Amino acid sequence: MGYRERHRIPDLGVGVGFRRPHVATVLRDTPPMDWFEIISENYFAAGGAPRANLEALCAAYRVVPHGVSLSIGGTDSLDADHLAHLAALVRRIDAPWCSDHLCWTGVSGVDVHDLLPMPYTRGTLDHVVERVKRVQGTLSAPFALENASSYLEYAESTMPEHEFLAELAERADCGILLDVNNVHVSAYNHGFDPLAYVDAIPADRVVQIHVAGHADRGSYLLDTHGDHVKADVWDLYRRAIRRCGAVATLVEWDEDIPAWDVLAAEAAKARAIRSETLASAPREATWAATT
Amino acid sequence: MGGDDLAGVQRFVARAVREGDPSPDTVGTAGRLLRPSPRGLAPHERLDIYREQYWLRHLANLDEDYPTLTWVLGGRDAFHTLARAYLEAHPPRTWDLQRLGADLPAFLEARAALDRTGATLDTTGASRDATHAALDRTGAALDGARAAHDATRAALDALALDAARLDWAFMAAFDAPDSPPFDPRVLASTPEDAWPGARIDLHASLRTLALGHPVHDLRFALLTGAEATRPLAVGTCVVVYRDAAHALRSVAVDAGALALLDALRAGTPLGEACEAAARAGGEDPLDVGARLGGWFQQWTASGWIRGVRASTESSAPSGA
Repeated sequence: MGYRERHRIPDLGVGVGFRRPHVATVLRDTPPMDWFEIISENYFAAGGAPRANLEALCAAYRVVPHGVSLSIGGTDSLDADHLAHLAALVRRIDAPWCSDHLCWTGVSGVDVHDLLPMPYTRGTLDHVVERVKRVQGTLSAPFALENASSYLEYAESTMPEHEFLAELAERADCGILLDVNNVHVSAYNHGFDPLAYVDAIPADRVVQIHVAGHADRGSYLLDTHGDHVKADVWDLYRRAIRRCGAVATLVEWDEDIPAWDVLAAEAAKARAIRSETLASAPREATWAATT
Repeated sequence: MGGDDLAGVQRFVARAVREGDPSPDTVGTAGRLLRPSPRGLAPHERLDIYREQYWLRHLANLDEDYPTLTWVLGGRDAFHTLARAYLEAHPPRTWDLQRLGADLPAFLEARAALDRTGATLDTTGASRDATHAALDRTGAALDGARAAHDATRAALDALALDAARLDWAFMAAFDAPDSPPFDPRVLASTPEDAWPGARIDLHASLRTLALGHPVHDLRFALLTGAEATRPLAVGTCVVVYRDAAHALRSVAVDAGALALLDALRAGTPLGEACEAAARAGGEDPLDVGARLGGWFQQWTASGWIRGVRASTESSAPSGA
């Protein structure tokens, strides 16, 4: 039995991030949208507009928390306060799963608030596996890790990122949030084959897929989440859907956030691509579509 | 790699990302620890991508938190000079970006205090230098001009500190814990002899500020697009709070009311709190007591009062 089936991970369809410029529109009009993703840390506080808005959102839609500050690859102790807040949030909104990034965000008590890559070695793999297990022990919902975009590589890395992520997911028994835009960005920046990356990810562990826009800075691509999804990323998305089946998909758009209609249209495009791809590869998608 | 090795690598990267410009040591160590990009970037140039994002992200965050201070300092460039110095002295120590600017008012105050003692403090380039550049250019070596310069500088320091404290009060009020609704009938049903010993619970978002300038009017003008003018130096007491619809508001109150709110928030029984308020306002406690009914009516309507814990072990009767 695969990971998604074991954990009864639902296919939520295609959703978007719940972002400030759209809060009023979404809560007032409850426009058609399959589901929403929230940034976990933005909803940890015990009061105020974020908490009230989240309650209203959850009354109308399925909501999945996605974190940016767990620092699963860090060497400081896991932040008990952060974990307690996350566990409470997951319970409060009855999240079907929650996620964060395969990265570290700070060290020696200083948080740089970025998704910094790991050196991919056996030693760091052991380290992260242990921390993922501890995190999962505190949560009432399945936990998934996302491949982050990266702009540097360590000389000491001994394995490709996809191999690290796949083995991490197997050993820690966690899910994977496959961000195909991040695969594309990192592949460009580091010179690896994005198709081989997608093909190497254990399909049954992919609980969610991200698509997003990025910017071309000449000597590197920057993961901006500030534009339409590029054609190459849609191609990777098709490939991922062919491999993984009907997996919940999210369109990320966090900078230069457009009007709601533009974002909804991008989600509709993802929905159409997903449907066409699933229709053309029904055998591979069958088991996932029934979960 | 694991444990100590990994921590060492992470310490290097985190330090490099927070540098203003890469040092020769950083360039050398990056060359050993990191791979060059297949697109032609040297290892330290790959770190530059994270460094650029570090400063953009944190400065943008502080921009959003401190609109009044930014205006008082003369604009975004001057504010960023201050914010960079602040981030170097107070690197982010929490995952919570909402708290990134928590120490900025204290940082500003400490810098001003050092200035007053004549210390040389600005190793990183202070915003104050930018703000006062015009003064410095015209500030001749003449003692009189210097004195005027110092007075102007002190006045700007005081205004900037007020602006910073106000802006941070709004940040703190934004996501303070919610409180259960308060039934105003509790006020009517509390026995009269229980009031002096009663403790009044206030909404957790409530922030009280004794300021030297009405900077709350300036902030309101800035955020509503109205014409912003530099506030005069007039002592002003301000309460910042979050209303029932979660909108953030500020309102001026008199000194007695502010002192009473401060005492109540500290858990002081109402009788003693009234006496403290009277001392602060130079009033008779009985006069404060006479105004209490009006204040409580207004504070209840504004959602500031969230509970009354009556006690029969009352303190000595006061004006309450």
